[in-house]
Amino acid sequence: MVAAGVVSPLGAGLVETLASLRAARDCISPVERFPVEQCRCTTAGQVSDEALAGVLPNDRKSCRLHRASRMMIRALAELLEQAPDFQPELMVVGTTSGGMSFGEQYYRALQQSDARARHLPAWIANYPPQKPAIDALEACGLASPCQVIANACASGTNAIGHAFECVRSGRYQRILTGGYDALSELVFVGFDSLQAATPEKCRPFDNARNGMVLGEGAALLALENYETARARGAEILAEITGYGISTDNHHLTQPHPSGIGPRQAMERALQSAGLPPGAIAYVNAHGTATPFNDAAEGKAIADLLGRVPVSSTKGMMGHSLGAAGAIEALITILALRHGFLPANINFRAPDLELDLDIVANEPRATTAGTALSNSFGFGGANASIVIQALAA
Amino acid sequence: MSLSLVGLGWVTPLGSTIEEVWRKLLAGASAQAGTLGDSLGEKSYRAFQVPPDAIAEAAKYPRLRRSSAISRFAVVAGLAALRDAGIEPNEQTAARTALIFAISNGGVIYTKRFFHEIIKSGAQAASPLLFPETVFNAPASHLAAILGITGASYTLVGDGAVGILALKMAEDLMANPELDRCLVVGAEEADWLLCDAYRKWRLLRAEPPLEPFARPAKGMILSEGAGAVVLARAGDLQLQRVHPGGNFARQRELVRQLDRIGREIKNGEAPDFVIASANGTFIDDAEREVCASHFPGAAVYTPKPALGESVAAGGIWQTICAAQALRRQELPPLLHAPGELGLTTARSPAPNKWRRAVVTTCGLNQQVAALSLVAR
Repeated sequence: MVAAGVVSPLGAGLVETLASLRAARDCISPVERFPVEQCRCTTAGQVSDEALAGVLPNDRKSCRLHRASRMMIRALAELLEQAPDFQPELMVVGTTSGGMSFGEQYYRALQQSDARARHLPAWIANYPPQKPAIDALEACGLASPCQVIANACASGTNAIGHAFECVRSGRYQRILTGGYDALSELVFVGFDSLQAATPEKCRPFDNARNGMVLGEGAALLALENYETARARGAEILAEITGYGISTDNHHLTQPHPSGIGPRQAMERALQSAGLPPGAIAYVNAHGTATPFNDAAEGKAIADLLGRVPVSSTKGMMGHSLGAAGAIEALITILALRHGFLPANINFRAPDLELDLDIVANEPRATTAGTALSNSFGFGGANASIVIQALAA
Repeated sequence: MSLSLVGLGWVTPLGSTIEEVWRKLLAGASAQAGTLGDSLGEKSYRAFQVPPDAIAEAAKYPRLRRSSAISRFAVVAGLAALRDAGIEPNEQTAARTALIFAISNGGVIYTKRFFHEIIKSGAQAASPLLFPETVFNAPASHLAAILGITGASYTLVGDGAVGILALKMAEDLMANPELDRCLVVGAEEADWLLCDAYRKWRLLRAEPPLEPFARPAKGMILSEGAGAVVLARAGDLQLQRVHPGGNFARQRELVRQLDRIGREIKNGEAPDFVIASANGTFIDDAEREVCASHFPGAAVYTPKPALGESVAAGGIWQTICAAQALRRQELPPLLHAPGELGLTTARSPAPNKWRRAVVTTCGLNQQVAALSLVAR
């Protein structure tokens, strides 16, 4: 990885993100974009409008774009500041809902014979899930083809993993990868209807955990073949050295309680990296704080890796779905490069069923460089990547 | 790396077996349009829909009991493609099979129902049964579960070009020697809401026929169904090149993009025929131009007047048409095209003369891709 860009509830850009991680900042706030009074959960990790202002020189055009497009433009612009000559042969990114809120507005307008009907064509044109990726490429003058993976909450990690395999196979030299998602009412209410969202704090791996909070954001990573990056003298921030994907056919929304899906993904990632389990010094867990997910993932981590330090950063920023894997990969890289493990905030008491070394509430100093980053999603989609971060 | 198409399967408004639908296409048949209405608007729309008997096989699977139509289409097409490839779904074959699913509008029927309940009765009325089926990868998940796939399963989203992009991804995945094959499925379901959106975007026609290459463009008719192909390393229909194409920000850039792709995919070797994505919209002119300039002697065919515009499934249907035409050495008649088309529409060459086909897919949301297929 030779460059990166990010916007999330933790901040706009790598510098703000790093500061939030160091401070173990709780960036969850009350939802303001749509009505949530009837929901069990009323909070989320949200990207501020200020962070997305002025992403295009033409402000009128910028206003027509979906928030997810503006997040992607913001992240790509930051990446290209570090690597202005980066010309990807392919873009592989993940999302779950793209411009969903424009679809919601369209539907509401139909219901209410809304006077805003003049906006309908623009909403339709900007609604497709791939649009934010294409908008970002266009805004930044890049012209690569685009593959948009929608493997639910594993999408971002799947995208990075697939991009890694494409480069490692020698079929590509440079790939732009990552993920994006913006909060939408439909998805928010959907998770709430499943009782998967919490009315309290999101407490991953805590004994009293009772659900997630949602989030939003975008993160992009510039992946380049290691030898060519070295040969041209590029600063290498981290290496992706392994990828594992598995499909758990147990249930559409619940993992098999044995943790077989997460375990297979992690085992395959280690096998892909050629590493033994003992080489992993930190796990950035999917850790949504739902009872079933954390139990399955925690069991898989403990069984496979023993008492390795583990944290989920979703307590700080929420679960940004298709963006989560990409943001969390970057969080892992940023933290390890700066000598600490990010905190698992809101942690009060361990789940006695899970023998885990949780990085509880405060960042922990480390000299480690090798980590796993996990993402798991609906449909039994499981993905893990092995990251080797290089000290800053 | 050389990959071949070794299995084909589809669910279309004209039926669901390869040979049955192909016979109908050769006979010049087109699907019958049904009428879609909704309390959301007074206007009704015409769309080509899959007849219920075409997906009767789906009833065998309890997992599909509550699933949306798109999942049923996908499962039936996917199983048919594996049968066509002579592959028995079992633990051993599943372990060496990757699934790539192409989707554009996804499970729109359940998504609409779910959101309608929220608007009508508030968030507390939202159905926890419907929500999981609205997620883009739900159809892939059902198919993976039925086949027993526990490894790589990807859902790709995009526009009408996403089927070819999924084949490109399959090509990349097959660099992994632990995989023997990829099952690539594209699927879509039709709904009033989609028709309404496409009409407001001025891309939909009120009534069939869908007239490809007409000037001015008269609009498309939406359809639904699924297409599935099995890719493996050895076979008679070689996937010569899958071009990942690019994106076009404005309609006029489509011509430039397609010109580049046409030149690169031709690569000095003219195809015998082109299966185009022409659907009665702005993309037709761009495809006509690239066919005239890069593939002047090639016969041109689009299945969309007969089967409608099925977006993510469409690119796979086109690929199946190319494979069938190479297998059978015959193309169906190009329906409802203008008399003065300026393109070759020959249906059958001298025996065993056709060897190379090109498939072009231009989506309505900025993506374009192509592939070439060779009979060995």
